[in-house]
Amino acid sequence: MGTQESSDKSSSKFNKQNLLLIITVLFTLATLVVGALVFRFYMADFRKASDVTQYDKYYVMITDNYKSDFWQSIYKGAFDAAQKENIYVDLLGQNLAGDYSCEQLMKIAIASNVDGIIVFANESDEMTQLINDADGKGIPVVTLYGDSTHSKRLSFIGVGSYNIGREYGRQIFNIIKEKRREDFIESAKMGHRKTMQIAVLVNTDTQDSGQNIIISGLQETLDQENATNSEFAISIVPVDNKNPFSVEESIRDIFLKKSIPDVIVCLNELNTVCAYQAVVDFNKVGDVNILGYYNSESIVSAIEKNIVYATISIDTPQMGEYCIEALSDYYEFGNTSEYFTADVTLINKNNVSDYLESEENDE
Amino acid sequence: MNKFFNLPLQKKVVGIYLAANMIIFIVNVFLILGINKMAIDMELVYQDNRQLNELTDSLTEVQDNMTVYLSSKTTDSLENYYKSAQTLQMLSDELGDEVTDLAFSRMRRNIKNMTGQYLEEVSLTVEAKRGRNVEKYRNYYESATELYEYINAYISRLNNEQFISNSERYTELATAFRTFESISVMVLTLVMTGNIISIITIVGMMIEPLKKLAVSANEIAEGNFDTNIPQTKYHDEIGIVIGAFNKMIISIKEYIIRQRESMEKERLMQEKELTMEAHLKDAQLKYLQAQINPHFLFNTLNAGAQLAMMESADRTYEYVQTVADFFRYNVKNHDTEVTIGEEMTLVDNYIRILNVRFSGDIKYHKQIDERLLKIPMPNMILQPVVENAVNHGIREMGDKGTITLKIYREDSDACISVSDNGKGIEQEDIEKILVGNWSKKEGQYDNNGIGMDNVISRLRIFTGKEDAVTIKSEGIDKGCEVIIRLPLPNVENK
Repeated sequence: MGTQESSDKSSSKFNKQNLLLIITVLFTLATLVVGALVFRFYMADFRKASDVTQYDKYYVMITDNYKSDFWQSIYKGAFDAAQKENIYVDLLGQNLAGDYSCEQLMKIAIASNVDGIIVFANESDEMTQLINDADGKGIPVVTLYGDSTHSKRLSFIGVGSYNIGREYGRQIFNIIKEKRREDFIESAKMGHRKTMQIAVLVNTDTQDSGQNIIISGLQETLDQENATNSEFAISIVPVDNKNPFSVEESIRDIFLKKSIPDVIVCLNELNTVCAYQAVVDFNKVGDVNILGYYNSESIVSAIEKNIVYATISIDTPQMGEYCIEALSDYYEFGNTSEYFTADVTLINKNNVSDYLESEENDE
Repeated sequence: MNKFFNLPLQKKVVGIYLAANMIIFIVNVFLILGINKMAIDMELVYQDNRQLNELTDSLTEVQDNMTVYLSSKTTDSLENYYKSAQTLQMLSDELGDEVTDLAFSRMRRNIKNMTGQYLEEVSLTVEAKRGRNVEKYRNYYESATELYEYINAYISRLNNEQFISNSERYTELATAFRTFESISVMVLTLVMTGNIISIITIVGMMIEPLKKLAVSANEIAEGNFDTNIPQTKYHDEIGIVIGAFNKMIISIKEYIIRQRESMEKERLMQEKELTMEAHLKDAQLKYLQAQINPHFLFNTLNAGAQLAMMESADRTYEYVQTVADFFRYNVKNHDTEVTIGEEMTLVDNYIRILNVRFSGDIKYHKQIDERLLKIPMPNMILQPVVENAVNHGIREMGDKGTITLKIYREDSDACISVSDNGKGIEQEDIEKILVGNWSKKEGQYDNNGIGMDNVISRLRIFTGKEDAVTIKSEGIDKGCEVIIRLPLPNVENK
């Protein structure tokens, strides 16, 4: 009986030991497996970071200054639109050391054999030639903002320059009206009323048809609005943009002359910023009205501060979208419309707060 | 599992050792694999940069060779140009032409395409040079050179960007490596712990029966043969040892039983022999007794006593009667056990006979506890003792000799003391008598055949005690006392 009991006891002890052994072995194996898995997952996680989307097509956008808000904004619009179609758009030049001109970038793009080029073109022969070369290699080219009318470009995406001119005209007329009222109050001065000097800043290096259209639109509007010739005089002030820093110098030059224009019409973002800074620096705020171009943050804030009279807001994302649309149309249908015009709105003191609000809401 | 435990001890130990090592080895293999993998990853980190550098070198070589060819038109340069152009083509093909989120991939794609274009231009240049079309090859050369510069700019930019990104990746890898290190150390530690526990458990399981065996062996060594004999489940050396041990225990038990039986037999044999001897002695005694017809002696003595009574010789009658009683006691008591009272009566008769023989020389005193007279004792004890006291103690003292008989109780013993005031005995003689070495002197007077050693040994056998008889003597001429201790029956029964 005692032996039976003790053998039971020893067998239960034996079972306990067996259990311990099995648990230990399992534990060891589990540790091994878990260790291996943990590390594997860790490494997998580590590698996943380099997982990327692959795109069907590759377009490039070529601009004269990829850093400017204006181009960045357009690029963003184009980029977002392209992403939806599984296309990647590069802002060429961004990845390159050193500054390259649009033409050089065109060459790079052509040599890179991209699927589409969006270029801020001009009417120069070289650009035209390059666009034709690209076309020859089967690369569709879309001109953006600046056209190359004689080239084989697919289409042009721009702003309604004539509309912009009309907007500028209306604003100038408003300024004239204010002037009239002031003159009327100070009737003594009525006799020797001064002619309002309007200076339109144009770039020297391009025969940009857009600029001309803006100016003609402006002129026509003033004519229609019953402004007499004695009340305004439009002068075209060429701004040297051949080298990087000449724009600023050219604009300052205006303020160093004897007669300073009453209204300065700027036709691009950089000119606007330079003119605005010059007005502040030369203490001419109130005397010189700036009609700006583009709605960058600094320009809008200048409107708020009453330094810039009004500016043109271009729907830049829309422009970007149009670029992609034009290229996609080409690939889909073989052709597309020759002109795309982006929406333009005017921002002045009256609606700047609304604009800022809507901007904020967008964000 | 059981199979494993049935293996020989050596194989088991080796097996455990191998298994433990194997596990550690596996962990190490994992470790080495991991380290290897990471090392490869780390090596590959700057692979892109190396690739790009090769590409730049190759590109420069093509450009240089082309320039040399254009300026000198040597065959060597042309050959070199072809070689380098091939290399460049190969290297640029490796760049891949995927368009992804990564700027690198797009740059690579552009570099690849531009390189292709460049090579085309260069080949056109070389061809034009061969055709000696100066205007054409100059144009091609210019555009190729321009492309060359663009490509270089692109590559250097890419190289730079990739270096930055690769450095980041390198840092990440280094971090991963450290993580791997700590995970490995942890795993290794845990596995080691598991290993140690496993080994301890398995060895414990192996040694367990041996421990039990040791306990049993100890118990058996202490004489407990009925201990639990450990059972063994497995047939390794320990199992065999335990089995052998168990067999040994069983055979020892059997042997002990056999030994006991044979001892029993021997004892029986001895008993038989003793009985035989006793019978022989009995027969011899009977024979002697038969020679003196007791009835004849009694009748004769009785007739003498009656004659003395008829003649009114009372003292004679009494004497003859006492002698008859004395002899009758010797013959009548065939039982070995009598009472103290009967023995005392015999002594009384004996003294009386002696006093008649020696005309009242011996003074005889008795101090008797009457309650002890019924206690049994062997017969023919007291008379020889008294006879000794008379013969060796007081014989030569004339009428000054005194014999004192005391029967009293001491502790759980009934004591019978026979003392005299005679010659006394030397201490060494007392010891000799008690041990049984006393040699009788030749021609010495002897009692009626029963020696002191006989009395002592019979008393010892009867009481089962060594100290049944004590002899005291203060020395020469100081007398002697013989004390017999008999256990009280009721005490004995207890």
